Amino acid sequence: MKTKLQVKDLHLAYGTKKVLKGITMDIPENKIVALIGPSGCGKSTLLRAMNRMHDLSPEVHIMGEILLEGDNIYAPGRDAVDVRRKIGMVFQKPNPFPKSIFDNIAYGLKIAGQHDKQQLQEVVERTLKSSYLWEEVKDDLDKSALSLSGGQQQRMCIARAVAVEPEVLLMDEPCSALDPISTAKIENLMLELKKDYTIVIVTHNMQQAQRVADLTAFMYFGEVIEYAPTEELFGNPQVELTRNYLEGNFG
Amino acid sequence: MQSRRFIDRAIKQLFFLAATLSVLVLLGIFGMLLMNGIKAFEHISLTEFFFSSNWNPAAYGKPSYGIVAMLFSTFLVTFGAMCIAVPLGIGAAAYLAQVAQAKTRLVLKPIIELLAAIPSVVVGFIGIVMVGPFIAKVFGLSNGLTALNGSILLAVMSLPTIITVAEDAIRSVPNSFKEGSYALGANQWTTLTKVILPASYSGIIAAIILGMGRAIGETMTVLMATGNALAMPHGFFDPVRTMTATIAIELGEVPYGTTHYYSLFAVGALLFLISLGINLIAENIAAKYRYKA
Amino acid sequence: MRKHSHLFIVFFFGLYLWSCTHQHGQVENLIIKGSDTEVNLALALAETYMMEDLSISISVSGGGSGAGIAALINGKTNIANASRPMKAEELLLAQERGVNPLSTVLGMDAIAIVVHPQCPIKELSKQNLGDIYRGKIHNWKQLGGPDQEISLYGRQSNSGTFVYFRDSILQAEYSPKVKQMNGTAQIVEAIKTDASGIGYVGVGYILEKNGNAAKGIKVLAIKSTDHTLAYSPALLENIQQGNYPIIRPLFQYTDGKPKGKLLQFLRYCLSEEGQALVQQNGYFPVSKMYQEQNELALNTTYAKSSLH
Repeated sequence: MKTKLQVKDLHLAYGTKKVLKGITMDIPENKIVALIGPSGCGKSTLLRAMNRMHDLSPEVHIMGEILLEGDNIYAPGRDAVDVRRKIGMVFQKPNPFPKSIFDNIAYGLKIAGQHDKQQLQEVVERTLKSSYLWEEVKDDLDKSALSLSGGQQQRMCIARAVAVEPEVLLMDEPCSALDPISTAKIENLMLELKKDYTIVIVTHNMQQAQRVADLTAFMYFGEVIEYAPTEELFGNPQVELTRNYLEGNFG
Repeated sequence: MQSRRFIDRAIKQLFFLAATLSVLVLLGIFGMLLMNGIKAFEHISLTEFFFSSNWNPAAYGKPSYGIVAMLFSTFLVTFGAMCIAVPLGIGAAAYLAQVAQAKTRLVLKPIIELLAAIPSVVVGFIGIVMVGPFIAKVFGLSNGLTALNGSILLAVMSLPTIITVAEDAIRSVPNSFKEGSYALGANQWTTLTKVILPASYSGIIAAIILGMGRAIGETMTVLMATGNALAMPHGFFDPVRTMTATIAIELGEVPYGTTHYYSLFAVGALLFLISLGINLIAENIAAKYRYKA
Repeated sequence: MRKHSHLFIVFFFGLYLWSCTHQHGQVENLIIKGSDTEVNLALALAETYMMEDLSISISVSGGGSGAGIAALINGKTNIANASRPMKAEELLLAQERGVNPLSTVLGMDAIAIVVHPQCPIKELSKQNLGDIYRGKIHNWKQLGGPDQEISLYGRQSNSGTFVYFRDSILQAEYSPKVKQMNGTAQIVEAIKTDASGIGYVGVGYILEKNGNAAKGIKVLAIKSTDHTLAYSPALLENIQQGNYPIIRPLFQYTDGKPKGKLLQFLRYCLSEEGQALVQQNGYFPVSKMYQEQNELALNTTYAKSSLH
């Protein structure tokens, strides 16, 4: 099993507040890894560290390494823009740009210099099909993406992230704002996408982790307490803290 | 309990009264302008008023009342001001809202707002002794009291409005748009121009239009800095006399109840309608943008 | 008790007012309103006169010739100062309201023609000056100067100087290219920076105490016709002897023949002391022609007249 993403002794602080305290974990290629844990345990922070989203906040300090196929994404001189092109992200709340559906999907390609109409059209169709949205929107590509329902918006955001063909897809609680039917659709989509991508997902929903993830990491106060194949972690947790959490004693 | 409810109701009534009063004042002003303005047309033909470029009510011979030259002058100066203020204003707003560090912003913002507090007569004076001669030197003109001078000064005066409103608009673009763009591999410049500015489009338009309203209505500065020649200007290097300047210059000593007196009210009414139109458009666009955000 | 204290205050205030008016017998109030050109001079005259006659109180305000005349027509002022004669329609309106405007001339205001120091022109005829402002002469080349478009500066249409210059020099419309400046100071500022500029300003404004023109501008000599000599307004005697041709009277309008204190004040203005103040303020004594007119209006005699 090839390791796609490798987190090595990662420390992160907001100003003086330590949020991540020495995270080390390997994320294998073409798998779905779920990060679970109580609110404030640092799972979203870790996820955002994986594509250098924290660069936008000057008060965040990071130590340690994250290797994408052996290359440190935090190496001096490494371009954050290039990193994000390879490691895409889908956010908790659907965030379509106030543009047409077509322009939303094509955005990533256009800014990367792809302006060929034909090519763009192909990609838009392919990605929308792969996110099972094509049938619903194929006649409305020129309509504002804001006119879609919440679930459709989130699937479009996934399509938009996929359109630039990243190597890793990070998903920050992608279903927390959605109804059960939309959630199911997105979970199916994730399972479909894992054939081509490596996926890391932050979720509050234990059932969701069990349904989609191959591996699950339980985090608590900025540390990975336990990281194991999903069935093992949920079926037979090795650490007392994990067991307590899964039994619903806190969090 | 009873008395608190009474106070609540009294305060509500008081606010309602204040709001009604300001509406009444507005209607009163417009009514007054219109009533007096209409009387001008007992002696001036509408054709002359709207299609002649010759304005000379205090003429040696036969007075003339054509507003074309001053209407055009007003638009010329305003257009020039916007050409300067819009790129500068939006650039500054984008910088303040997206790029500047909190500390820089804390220093810059009050300074920009202070710009609005400079009395227009001071700006006009700067136009006479500094900007005007500078323009004359740079463009090899005999003097700098031109439409361009007015445009530059009005641009400076409308900048605070444009920057403040545009910055609010840009700032109100949800952070998620920015993150979404970055996550797709966009850099700061692309994110700004392709996502953030388009998303705050209507707010920025509102900012521009409000700035424009400020420029059109400004009187003292143009009165002092644009030369006030009555001739139809041929471009930015000619002196101009705007509608506001005309009213300010002539209303001071016009004999009460004469055609000249009423014609100035007609000019005022027209100016009022233009400003009102501009504000309504801004209001409309701003409302649309609030709904979107 | 509190109510009573209010009453006390009112009572004492009334007493105070009463004592004020009765301190020196009956005090008469005079109101002067009008021309901004004359306002400083009128203030100086009023202040000096009030020192000599404690039974009179004079208030002076500006607002422009038109404002003063309007106040006279509406019975709101005793004297209307005007740097231009009343217009026909103003006289008509006055008659309708039963007001009989009567003018006396307070002094003379000479108007200087100023150009940039680099301008080679030294003198102009009245005819040429008129042609320049009418727009007929539009290049200095036409007057033997450099090939340069003439840049015209004038006052705004609410100025008495604007009207006087048009009616007596142009006797026609101004060229629409005249830049209408907001005050004399702005004309001077503009001329200083404009090598092709020409402007008209009150002599008092540009002459310094030693009789030289202000720095950075040049004052032109003016001749009445092409065949007469040119005179500069920078020399006092040229104006006093009536040789400088651009000179206008400064009027004081009253309603009908002035009587009592009003007459005394007007006589004071025309006395030697008053005329000295006129000169101190940058204007010139009343010319011969207007002296006669004043005599008719006030039954006063020049030079020999005294305060009482």
